[in-house]
Amino acid sequence: MFYPEPISRLIDAFSRLPGVGPKTAGRLAFHVLRMKEDDVLDFAKALVNVKRGLHYCSVCCNITDIDPCRICQDKSRDRSVICVVQEPKDLVAMERTKEFQGYYHVLHGAISPMEGIGPDQIHIPELLKRLSDESVQELILATNPNVEGEATAMYLSRLVKGFGLKVTRIAHGLPVGGDLEYADEVTLTKALEGRREL
Amino acid sequence: MFLKRLALQHYRNYAHVDIAIDHNVNIFVGPNAQGKTNLLEAIFVLALTKSHRTHQDKELLDWNGGETVLHAELERRYGTCTLDLSLSAKGKKAKINGLEQKKLSNFIGTMNVVMFAPEDLEIVKGNPGVRRRFLDMEIGQVHPGYLYELSQYQKILQQRNNLLKQIPGRGGVDLDMLGVWNEQLAQHGVKIMKKRQSFIKKLQTWAEHIHAGITAGGETLRIDYAPSLPLSDEPEEAVLFDQFMIKLSQVKDQELRRGMTLVGPHRDDLLFYINGKEAHVYGSQGQQRTTALSLKLAEIELIREEVGEYPLLLLDDVLSELDEHRQTQLIQTFQSKVQTFITTTGIESVHLDRLEGASVFQVRQGHVTGKD
Repeated sequence: MFYPEPISRLIDAFSRLPGVGPKTAGRLAFHVLRMKEDDVLDFAKALVNVKRGLHYCSVCCNITDIDPCRICQDKSRDRSVICVVQEPKDLVAMERTKEFQGYYHVLHGAISPMEGIGPDQIHIPELLKRLSDESVQELILATNPNVEGEATAMYLSRLVKGFGLKVTRIAHGLPVGGDLEYADEVTLTKALEGRREL
Repeated sequence: MFLKRLALQHYRNYAHVDIAIDHNVNIFVGPNAQGKTNLLEAIFVLALTKSHRTHQDKELLDWNGGETVLHAELERRYGTCTLDLSLSAKGKKAKINGLEQKKLSNFIGTMNVVMFAPEDLEIVKGNPGVRRRFLDMEIGQVHPGYLYELSQYQKILQQRNNLLKQIPGRGGVDLDMLGVWNEQLAQHGVKIMKKRQSFIKKLQTWAEHIHAGITAGGETLRIDYAPSLPLSDEPEEAVLFDQFMIKLSQVKDQELRRGMTLVGPHRDDLLFYINGKEAHVYGSQGQQRTTALSLKLAEIELIREEVGEYPLLLLDDVLSELDEHRQTQLIQTFQSKVQTFITTTGIESVHLDRLEGASVFQVRQGHVTGKD
């Protein structure tokens, strides 16, 4: 490297981030060099805190700074429903609807033998524990509508058969507010398959 | 449909070429290695955005650099449209009537083509993989949903094979997990099988008729779908699904031992019978070639059925390999209704006297000159 050691270490650190190549990493590193010292300290603290201050909620496995997480502590929610999602980002998306009042369970992944991810690598055991303890009546499976998400949903639905729960899968099909003619063939086929009686 | 103009820029050995076309039958003549097949390939790429000869798109780019642009003016039943496809190391950009298409799948199918090239003999002679590829390409050209089902199926298959390989090593058999993948495999597999079955049925009807014509009634061609599990005629999807699941449970031990999926459309085959005998075992070279030809001509009719217009026919160096009678049959079939592009090394090997109103183009070292 042609740079002094501290800066080349910083470039190396930035280039480990997703979507950042060596050139962007260099630009970011030199930007840090020009930043005020306080801002750099805040930045460094934020980085460390996200690792030290955050952990998985002991109930729903979402990332949280307090345990149990805010949603799991909220007593006003509906105890009888648990919505299973793949990622914390999915939970946030569901929360934005403001329609869902139950609790969540975050799996942090989906079953994928190719990547060596089986039921034990995602947080399924924790979910089963919750189902036997709590007064849950319905399990909503909101994993992604792709091969791995579908397999995870199917696996879960088989696994919880003994619990006597209502197990539901979120629907897929047409986006709301769109025109039928703009929908692609595959989505439209799925919507047709999932039609319901009025 | 009718191709009125083909313009290529920095494509393979062509720096720039612009061909105006006004006849139904067009013959590209020239010695070997001048770029005749490249012209047909360009038309093929404009139809399907990928080549029939290679999976490597970068091979299509100009050998000397520059931006590769393919342009076509096409007359369809409902008017003319222009197609532009630009290729670069970064990817493809497709435009219809100057409007960029966000999805290539919207572009594919604007122009329909059927290509018949020497390597198509492999459909009859080669391994089942070649025949499955043929099926997938053809069904995909008219049913966009099919390719999606197929890609889902391939993913599930990969996942399932991975699981089958892991299970013996881990000691315990996670049968619940396998059951999940079984169900997914069967769900998508069934859809693919049904599509293939109905396609082959239609193909059979046309091919039988055409084959009888080419051989002057001397040979009967039968095409059979040979799926990896027994299939009744037009089964209910639910019934077929159950059968698929039963079959999977039957081969479970074998699958675990071998670490791979042994049932499903990825092991399908097509069987060709000439006068009741299997063509790839007992057929002569000539019979196999005629079978491949009948298939391709049947495809033309199938595409017309599906899209309401005849596709373009691309014949790459195959006419000279047919005897005079078969050439006549072929020419009569397409002359008036199907626009055809033919490559050949010598005009003598093609019986031009039967071609009224054909255009002949000389192809030399990346230059095309017209001559009526």
